[in-house]
Amino acid sequence: MTALGAFAPLHAEISKLRRSLSGLMVLAAPAVLAIFVFANMVRLDEPRSWDSWLQGTTAIWAQFMLPMSMTAITVLAAQTEHGPRSWDYLRALPLPRWRLYASKAVMVMGLGAAMTALVVLAVPGAALLAGLAKPAIAATGSPDIAAYAAGLGKMLAASTLLIAIQLWIALRFASFAPALATGIAGTFFALTAWNAQNGIYFPWLMPINTLADDAGRAGLALALGGAGGVAVFAAMTTHLSGREHQG
Amino acid sequence: MDSIAVETRHLARRFGQHHAVRDVSLSVPEGAVYALLGRNGSGKTTTLKMLLGLLRADSGSIRIFSCNPRRERARTARLTGALLEAHGFYTQLTGAENLDMARRLLGLGAGEIGRVLRLTGLDERAARLRVGGYSLGMRQRLGIARALLGAPRLLILDEPSNGLDPDGIADMRRFLRTLPERTGTTVLVSSHQLSEVEQTATHAGVIHDGRLVVEGPLATLKSASAPELRITTSDDARACLIAERMGYQIIAGAEPVLLREPARRGGTEARAALNRHLVEAGIDVFLLQPGSASLESIYRQATGQDAPVIPLERVA
Repeated sequence: MTALGAFAPLHAEISKLRRSLSGLMVLAAPAVLAIFVFANMVRLDEPRSWDSWLQGTTAIWAQFMLPMSMTAITVLAAQTEHGPRSWDYLRALPLPRWRLYASKAVMVMGLGAAMTALVVLAVPGAALLAGLAKPAIAATGSPDIAAYAAGLGKMLAASTLLIAIQLWIALRFASFAPALATGIAGTFFALTAWNAQNGIYFPWLMPINTLADDAGRAGLALALGGAGGVAVFAAMTTHLSGREHQG
Repeated sequence: MDSIAVETRHLARRFGQHHAVRDVSLSVPEGAVYALLGRNGSGKTTTLKMLLGLLRADSGSIRIFSCNPRRERARTARLTGALLEAHGFYTQLTGAENLDMARRLLGLGAGEIGRVLRLTGLDERAARLRVGGYSLGMRQRLGIARALLGAPRLLILDEPSNGLDPDGIADMRRFLRTLPERTGTTVLVSSHQLSEVEQTATHAGVIHDGRLVVEGPLATLKSASAPELRITTSDDARACLIAERMGYQIIAGAEPVLLREPARRGGTEARAALNRHLVEAGIDVFLLQPGSASLESIYRQATGQDAPVIPLERVA
């Protein structure tokens, strides 16, 4: 197996994105956020600062848009295989099976990263456009794009655990219902209990906790979400490659 | 065909309380087109999945070109190409894109795609279309093309003619018949379409209720079975009754009536006697055609499905 060959399953995952709904989802979620910012800005009469717009969107992103988008992406990524029942073909290939699942995990995290990067571009872009369309409400001050990107990056890292849980469930069950139900339930509890003291241990609240004023709490959310996610991805890969698939 | 491509010994597999495979000891010679026959749920697919390492055997052993697929999975997987019932194609991608992805996963060069397209007769224009728009026949061809990537020595096909139209079935028949000659590939194909198998296979094995009940070269199986007699009369029900009294065995479900000749008292004399008895009984005989045993009759005999076509008590 050449070094290039080792990445063949990942290349295959990227190829499957062509004309797929998961690829579309990466564009859709940041676009929704950008439209939200644009629509909210143009309906105002008074300008607001760049900070208020950017921070406002990070909270929405962390608490709702990111978990729900990743739920959709993991479900769609898993259904790419469950739908055409391609597991038997893939698992009969002369490749270590763990690579198939690890590649899926890397691809899903990659889509999360791409989506985050698009948010970094789309939200300030939408604010700029709104300012051009209605100069009276153009955002004041200067945007700190680097800090914005770093914040969103931390959120993505902290959401690794919830993404790993979602992907595990989505790959384990041929039906999309268990993964979707988990994602909806997790996001719902995160919305209703967002300021709970122990919420930091709840995977769906880890991204929002990276915004906490308390640096210790933010750091803990990042560490738990990131390291926990890597551990769950490893457990997922071991479990799924070892079990028989009877699809 | 001296060396053995696939050999299993007392293979068994259970799902909960259900014994899917109880005892399968099959032997597929290299270069053969081996048909694994059996009705739906008899254990064919479970056996094939165990050969492919997709299911673990509860007991028994498997050798593929002398390799143990459990210990040497990657090696045996390289020797084997498969088309299972579910094709597993990504329908949003074109045929060529699906093949390209598969050949990359196998670490093969880009030229391999053209080779398998030529082998399966799938033209390049069709390969540029999305699989979502393919007919079932095209999907089967693409599935076989994908299974042939890397020139495997063994090709495993699970019910490849299922759902195909008559043209597709004829194409598949031609393809299977000539593949070993063209590529040296051994073909193991599961099917319940006996007439199709009879025209393509060199060897056959019958699985019934999870057990391999008969196996061997098709010619040997046929010659070992008693010859048959196909008859058409003005009163088939009474003709069956008379034939049975003369020691003929009636093969169920055959149309026209198919009789298995008595083991010791068959031959020309016996056929003439049967004809005489039928005529004397006032039955017109339109056809009385001797022949070697059909695969259907071998299958029915092996699976214990021989029974009178018409209940004899009703005839009497």
